[in-house]
Amino acid sequence: MLLKSVNYVRPESVTEALDILSSNEGAAPLAGGQSLTNVLKHRVASVDLLVDISALSELRAITRAGDGSLEVGACVTYDEIDHSPDVRAGHVILAREASHIEDQQIRNRGTIGGNCCLSDPTNNLPPLLVALDATMNIRAVGGTRHVAAEDFFKGYFLTALEPGELLVSITIPPIPVGGGAGYVSLSVATDSKTIVRAAARVRVDGVIEEVRVVLARVASVPIRHHAMEEALRGVAPTAELVRAAAELIGSDVEPISDGHGSSEYRREMARVVARRAVLAAIEEGGRK
Amino acid sequence: MSATSRSKAATRERVESWTGKSVPRKEDGRLVQGEGSFIDDLGMHGQGYAWFVRSPYAHARIVSVDPSAALALEGVYAVLTGEEAREMCVVPFFQIAPGDGARIEEWPLAVDKVRYQGDAVAVVLADSRDTARDAAELVEVEYEPLAVVVDGVEAVEHAAPVLHEKAGTNVAWHGVYDYGDIDFALEHADHVIKIDRLHFHRFSSTPLECNGAVVDWDKGSGVIDVKSNIQMPMFAAMVIGPSLGVAMNKFSFSSRDIGGAFGNKIAFYPQIAALALLSKKAGRPAKWTEYRTEHMLSSTHGNERTFLDIEVPVMADGTILGVKARAVDDVGAYLHYEPLGAVIWSQVLTGCYKFKNVKIDFTTALTNKCPVAPNRGYSRMQQLWMLERVIDIVAHELDFDPVALRKLNFVQPEDYPYQTPNGCVYDSGNLPLSLDMALELADVDTWRRRQSEMGTGTGKRIGIGIGSTLDSGTNNFGQARIVNPDLPFSGNGEAAFAKLDLYGEVNINLGTTPQGQSHETTSAQVAADILNMSPNDVTVTIGFDQSHNSFVGFSGTYASQFAVTGLGAVMGATAKLRDEILEVGAFALGAPKDDLELRDGACLVKGDPSRSIPFIGIANLIYTNNAVLPSELSSKIDLNCRYVYVPPFEVPDVERKMGNLTLTYASQIHVCVVEVDEETGVVEILSYVAVDDCGKRINPQIVEGQVHGAVGLGIGAALYEAFEYDEDGQLQEPSFYEYHAGTAMDIPDIRTGNIESPSPFTPNGAKGMGEGGGAAVHTICSALQDALGKDGAVVFDSHNPWERVYQLLQSSQGDEPRGVRVISREGGAA
Repeated sequence: MLLKSVNYVRPESVTEALDILSSNEGAAPLAGGQSLTNVLKHRVASVDLLVDISALSELRAITRAGDGSLEVGACVTYDEIDHSPDVRAGHVILAREASHIEDQQIRNRGTIGGNCCLSDPTNNLPPLLVALDATMNIRAVGGTRHVAAEDFFKGYFLTALEPGELLVSITIPPIPVGGGAGYVSLSVATDSKTIVRAAARVRVDGVIEEVRVVLARVASVPIRHHAMEEALRGVAPTAELVRAAAELIGSDVEPISDGHGSSEYRREMARVVARRAVLAAIEEGGRK
Repeated sequence: MSATSRSKAATRERVESWTGKSVPRKEDGRLVQGEGSFIDDLGMHGQGYAWFVRSPYAHARIVSVDPSAALALEGVYAVLTGEEAREMCVVPFFQIAPGDGARIEEWPLAVDKVRYQGDAVAVVLADSRDTARDAAELVEVEYEPLAVVVDGVEAVEHAAPVLHEKAGTNVAWHGVYDYGDIDFALEHADHVIKIDRLHFHRFSSTPLECNGAVVDWDKGSGVIDVKSNIQMPMFAAMVIGPSLGVAMNKFSFSSRDIGGAFGNKIAFYPQIAALALLSKKAGRPAKWTEYRTEHMLSSTHGNERTFLDIEVPVMADGTILGVKARAVDDVGAYLHYEPLGAVIWSQVLTGCYKFKNVKIDFTTALTNKCPVAPNRGYSRMQQLWMLERVIDIVAHELDFDPVALRKLNFVQPEDYPYQTPNGCVYDSGNLPLSLDMALELADVDTWRRRQSEMGTGTGKRIGIGIGSTLDSGTNNFGQARIVNPDLPFSGNGEAAFAKLDLYGEVNINLGTTPQGQSHETTSAQVAADILNMSPNDVTVTIGFDQSHNSFVGFSGTYASQFAVTGLGAVMGATAKLRDEILEVGAFALGAPKDDLELRDGACLVKGDPSRSIPFIGIANLIYTNNAVLPSELSSKIDLNCRYVYVPPFEVPDVERKMGNLTLTYASQIHVCVVEVDEETGVVEILSYVAVDDCGKRINPQIVEGQVHGAVGLGIGAALYEAFEYDEDGQLQEPSFYEYHAGTAMDIPDIRTGNIESPSPFTPNGAKGMGEGGGAAVHTICSALQDALGKDGAVVFDSHNPWERVYQLLQSSQGDEPRGVRVISREGGAA
């Protein structure tokens, strides 16, 4: 068969889903299925039991707290993020990035949780969530734990999730006053496969007070570039200084070579997109 | 259906001439409503589903093939291995190549060795596609990997592993094309430009619909029924017939709608032969629908060509005297339609230009890569691209204006019909006017101003590019003899039937295989003009059907020729039908034939419309009421008129490689403006213009559609699309994840312009134009060259993804060897 024969269950609640996941070794959660179905089609993973969590209302909410922080359920689709007034109120960059992930059919089904849990280095949202200092809210039968996005992505198709655990939502803190976020991708063609990308969040108060710079497609997971951040902290938000800081991206970054770009090109382009992302974040902060 | 209701209204419209009007496509009602009949929609009773077992290695000895585990799977009908296929065959496939190349043995499935990643070693038949796929995984093949060669030049010029031991060499064909006196020109020119290497890369048109076939080898009749989307069915039959040991009348090829082909669907005859044998073995029809990755690995790629040691003699005023080069064509692991590519390029030996001295040393090289086959612009766009690079490099190095340099060297309007150094005849055209129109439509003056205003430090550069190209159409198959003098081929042709059916219906029927070229519509237009009726009332039976259509050996849809050969046949057949209708009408109306006319499906006496007979009445007299006719009429007229259009060709001079290789030359002049981001190499197309001259346009909207398609393909090729292999012969772009085909998001708005220089050689003044000569590839490369500026690097590759553009920008700033030298004689102004 195109898909090997597999069992399927649709639990009524997160609690039930967790029970099933923890008591079946070959079980895997199915959300939008935009990656998992392909993985199964290519027969590179063996799953005995698909636990369909896509309809669980507990996983489908978007809530905006009084402090401006945003909590997005793991099974919220890209299209819902794109069209959510709550997202657009304070985290427009998340809506913008969700709005051009692949095509409309995929955006109707693909979920933020799936995008993160697959931990594919080409996925759009992980670097942004690391830059925005998001927290991944994880539940298991025994309780809930919270992992910083920065610590969630562990490697190619590998996350901090333990067997039996489920990512239930993602909390994104408010973008600070005087701050902004930027996200720049260098893609094949207009908006096709990503060669390298960067996401940044800054807070400026005369000088750059806070900054997070995240590079993607230069390693198996999104990485913060601490040296560049260090160089930016406390300096004036000028193009020259940002350029100088980006030049620190060097041999510490060892990207892969593939058909979409060589390692050398990716490294050089990482400097460009990192600078442009930081400048975009500064500019957005300045507009507020 | 809406098309039908529209047709009723349109019937009453009176038009001077349907030819030349943008008549809405007859095909669209069916196709846009999802009612087309594509290969995967077709099936046969009792069919099984086939899945090929393909090699993961680029070059390996097949130690053993064990199908037992696959056969044990429930639902598996049969497994055919390469060795079994060879035993069932009489001889290997027919080879076009002479000499060493003729000794290449290709069988329906690989025997003893695999020669590229994706080479098929066995094929499974099962009760479902999925079972077949599962079973294919269970076929155990033991391989012993061999050394691999993936570069054409390396394959023929260095000690490289030989793919076909029986040929004993990787050189499948070699020949020298030598006209005029290039060495004299090089010695006496004011300047000689030397370019070390230009590389035209591998890509394809990646049709939306992959290959597919349902094949039944009927035991009772011995007939092999092949329903498929192959676009040149009789060529396939010619190649595999002797191998399968069957006569031509034991094949029944047919096709319906085809979801894009571009030449790519000429050459999947090995798969069809394997399916025929599989069907014979299993005793049931075999249906195969190719997977996308399978298509990209093992269907067909376009020719990859490396030009070496290019030398161009140029006079001080910019007159180019000729070109000398070596060309190595990398055609992959087997010769599919090749080595015809080794001659087809010479249809456009000098491109749009007038120089007289040419020497091209041409080698067809075998490598451990997917076999190539025709791809829109087959073999000519490589040559045209090289010539356009030469023109731009000459302009760049000697500081000529690329527009003025082109105009100076173009074939001029008064030169037509113009004979090229190798005897091809350019029928008509106006290249300088086309270029002016393109420059004006692109508003190049404004862009040049902006380009010069754009100072350094902005991080952006503007480049303006020109691509001047030819689309040669209607092959003289006699050129195959230049490749192999023993081939009994020459000329070309297409056949059509025009009939009046029992109830007076007008029916056109021909053996072409349209894949978007709107044969239903344009055939109806030209027939309607001859019969003076609405095209909506002309039914055109599309799709090749060996048992129903009239056809000739060249029937099919390829090489930009339908407007000439196909419509030539339709016009000839319809004119015969008109004559027969008038003859019957003369009897019925008791009036001389000359006093009659046809109008809206009736035959009437001119000036006296009360005396008329409708087509149904004419049909009645011939089909069901013939005793009322005098015997000289009933024995002569059957209202079934066949006509074969034969273009006026002669057999080329094989020794001198001279002859009129194609009948028509449409021209395309493209201009584009790009903006290049210096920091990243990202190219944005700011403006794109295409001016086409394909003689008389039968249907301007359809011409425009073809132009858009060709532009999209060319932009995709120049910027995004490439099939590349690593040193182990593994394809790096086996799916649309890695291979980005240009989409609507990438292709800019295209402004089009037209000039009509009617061809004096064709029945309707039209020229074939669908392929487009790769104009957009040339144009983008030209624009990049312009953006690199004076002293900048040379655009040496037809494929320029962002990274390569970035590298070109970086190397512009240094003074490393640029791969180009200018040698100027004393007295020549540099």
